Amino acid sequence: MSAKTRGTPAVPMFRRLMVANRGEVAVRIARACDLLGITPVFATSTADRDAGYLRGRETVCIGAARSPQSYLNMQAIVQAARQSECTALHPGWGFLSENPVFAALCEAHGVTFIGPPARAMHLMGKKTPAKTAMRAAGLALIPGSDGILDSVEQAREVADRVGYPILLKAESGGGGRGMRIARGPDEVASAYADAQAEAIAAFGDGRLYLERLIEGGRHVEIQIMADRYGNVVHLGERDCTVQRNHQKLLEESPSPSLSPDERERTLAAAVRAAASIGYVGAGTMEFLLDQGTLRFMEMNTRLQVEHSVSEVRSGRDLVVEQIRVAAGHPLSFGQADVVLTGHAIECRINAEDPANNFKPAPGKIVRWHSPTGEGVRVDTHVDSGYEVPPHYDSLLCKVITAGATRDEAIGRMIAALGELVCEGVPTTVPLHLQILRSPAFRSNHYDTRAIPGI
Amino acid sequence: MPVKNFVLDARLTPPVLRARLAAGPDGRQRLLAPGVGMFRGAPDPGMLVGPDQAIGALEILGVVHHVLAPVGAGGLVVAPEDAPRTSAPARRAVGFDDLLLVLDPSATRSESAANQSGPAAGPGVSGGAVLRAPTSGRFYVRSGPGKPAFVSVGAVLEPGQTVGLIEVMKTFSRVLYGGDALPSRARVVRICQADESDVAQGDPLLEVEPVDAADDQNTKPHPA
Repeated sequence: MSAKTRGTPAVPMFRRLMVANRGEVAVRIARACDLLGITPVFATSTADRDAGYLRGRETVCIGAARSPQSYLNMQAIVQAARQSECTALHPGWGFLSENPVFAALCEAHGVTFIGPPARAMHLMGKKTPAKTAMRAAGLALIPGSDGILDSVEQAREVADRVGYPILLKAESGGGGRGMRIARGPDEVASAYADAQAEAIAAFGDGRLYLERLIEGGRHVEIQIMADRYGNVVHLGERDCTVQRNHQKLLEESPSPSLSPDERERTLAAAVRAAASIGYVGAGTMEFLLDQGTLRFMEMNTRLQVEHSVSEVRSGRDLVVEQIRVAAGHPLSFGQADVVLTGHAIECRINAEDPANNFKPAPGKIVRWHSPTGEGVRVDTHVDSGYEVPPHYDSLLCKVITAGATRDEAIGRMIAALGELVCEGVPTTVPLHLQILRSPAFRSNHYDTRAIPGI
Repeated sequence: MPVKNFVLDARLTPPVLRARLAAGPDGRQRLLAPGVGMFRGAPDPGMLVGPDQAIGALEILGVVHHVLAPVGAGGLVVAPEDAPRTSAPARRAVGFDDLLLVLDPSATRSESAANQSGPAAGPGVSGGAVLRAPTSGRFYVRSGPGKPAFVSVGAVLEPGQTVGLIEVMKTFSRVLYGGDALPSRARVVRICQADESDVAQGDPLLEVEPVDAADDQNTKPHPA
């Protein structure tokens, strides 16, 4: 693999790059641009244009505060890239990052979209084609229907084969909507009707498929990086079991629950699977750990919020690598060069009020202090005086700590969160401390059914 | 019958955008860009501009949009003081809300004085009890598109009743009627915010008047 990456001719690099995102994401992309000597140009809404993280930066205001008029406004963003002479665009995560139409629009106007090819994005965006492709590549799946269900009778037949309880899911679903559980044959008909109605209302697509419901599993995902010459590497796995309402709170790597054999097998299969669909760029495959077996759920065709956990363990800058790959460079490292050391944990700190049922809490941050210290990394766009706008999601910062062992990483995280100061808006720091200090989390006795320590 | 080979030609139906209006210093009006694009064809200083009049063209991804002056705009074009305009480019890149034109309405005031009414009643409050937004966010008067509004003018409210929704960071919460300064039973006099408008904490949402016992009799079936 390393022979392929040596001695290749120099490939030009972008000079100006449009950052089509906001907040912590935009700051992260700009840091990679600064490292590569690229000038980042920020697409910004009217709500963000005076924010501290844009001070001294080149910006183009693309629309009003509401996301559909700004960060989701495809024409405005591509036009902004064109007129500010950017030849590349990084969508970050969220907003338009997994939209194949947006990727195609960028390419049509001569702006390189930093992400996978539109066809790979489209394939992985639909649930059953993605599962079929992944099964062919040798990944274990959750037992269920082969594709779309035709009728309630078929659903009942499949359910009898795979065993109850079962989960009916919408083909175009996401965010926990269009899903219903049936715990016995008599519940299938009503669950089918409810899931279908919700899916039509939410996504305009009533097609359903069926999976056995796995209760008490662990949520594990694998970070993939690929170039356009067929080189694919993994950067290990992350355990994201600690979630609240399908929103990840805390991620760690390596997963403390995964056996070495299963890790080895699935990492190799995930690399093969990414290669088989011609994947390019950064991507993540999500799995459910079910009694020792990793079963494929879905693939995210973008970088993720928690990519920093893998960066800390591998010492590789994934955003720099994404930009290099998009510019036509081969991967700068092979699988043998990826050395994963120690243990890393990330906590997502949101502007939410734990005392008031996690109600989002926009407002002015009067005083802010980021923690520092050995093995501590903080990704944030927030500073003293920053006004948290009410229009977007509530992520304020990510704190990532590393240690030789899980206990050392946890200890550093508790110290770091104690050092973090945020006056003016409530944050989820107390919740994180409660989780980190709980015996269930420390002894690794928890699963997707409940947040440890709560 | 479907029309065969029908092509929507932008030359026949040119897309139209309306510039945004903002008040500038010393009573001047500032017309701002309605979107991102390449702007050209602005009227020269000294020309008269009125509502709905074309003030240039904005090219967005190769499509030329006509830009019109918004309702309420009017005046003589003046050169913005912060731009020397020695050699103006044929077209220039503008972002959303960037300055396109500065108008001086005072030049036309004498002739249009007859048309001018007093300042329009804004979303201010004319006395009476007011229910205010408990938090900043987007205010919805109905639970979903096509659904009936939670309250309408003339409705009688009781504490705990839902009058709308506020969305903050993708999370919806109900706005309930109630509070120390508000009457326990009240009739809605005015709904101060349009559906899906952005509100700040403390902005007025509803104007209400107390419902006294006598009024109450009218809304209930008469006792025998």
